[in-house]
Amino acid sequence: MARASSIQLLQYVTAILLVFLVSLHVAERVPWVAEVGYEESLRSEYVSRIYSERSWLLLLLAYTALFHGLNGVRGMLYEWMPGMARLWDTATLALFLLFAGVATYTVVALPPLE
Amino acid sequence: MSIKDKLEAYRGLPGFLAASLNPWLVRARDNPERLAFVLHRVTGLTLLGYLMLHLIVTSTPARAGWEAWDGLMEVFAASLLNKTGEFLVAGMLAFHGLNGVRLILVEMLGACVGRPVKPKPPYTPPSLAACQRRLLYLVFALWPVLWAVAGYVIFKG
Repeated sequence: MARASSIQLLQYVTAILLVFLVSLHVAERVPWVAEVGYEESLRSEYVSRIYSERSWLLLLLAYTALFHGLNGVRGMLYEWMPGMARLWDTATLALFLLFAGVATYTVVALPPLE
Repeated sequence: MSIKDKLEAYRGLPGFLAASLNPWLVRARDNPERLAFVLHRVTGLTLLGYLMLHLIVTSTPARAGWEAWDGLMEVFAASLLNKTGEFLVAGMLAFHGLNGVRLILVEMLGACVGRPVKPKPPYTPPSLAACQRRLLYLVFALWPVLWAVAGYVIFKG
């Protein structure tokens, strides 16, 4: 396990990254930015275009948000029951790997739009 | 013991829930930093839950094809339930993001907290007189504005 101070620094770095990545992701659904209606932005034509053009950005967003969120929860769990630190480390790492896997699978196994 | 007394007694407990997660039991008077701290935790926890659900839902095209995605969106995209949910998530995201920027400035970069001084009684932490408090009020002022804009986009866009 990395030092607590290094992990906290990573927490701040991922927070800065998320400010930009989440803003970009949200902008993809804002009509006067994306030039597509809010509800239309959920149609397969638009979503598949986003996936094919910016899949690496979506993956980076998913990994960063998962790290930031699960590390935050790990800190809360440490405060709640400090005696079970190893369990919290394992549980949050397992959740990170599981959902990072789901995000990666989504991009890798995405079928082309017919 | 009345409910009010019970709440009062609960407030004094150094328990995890009362101390860090429940925004309704926090003594926010004269302590907006504490309120922001608890709201940051509650919104962060909820956003993580949303993120996990979001990752599962957006994996639908990979798992079941684009027809399944379109079928799902036909039901949910325009529904009031979905829009209300997105509106709540947008509000949480707006607060967590704005307060997060404040925390980066104050905690990570040490901006707006003043210089440390020798604690002579009556001791007032210099951070309480520094501009971090104004930054916090700015967060509380910008939050409803950003949330209202998100609401306009979600319900009218």
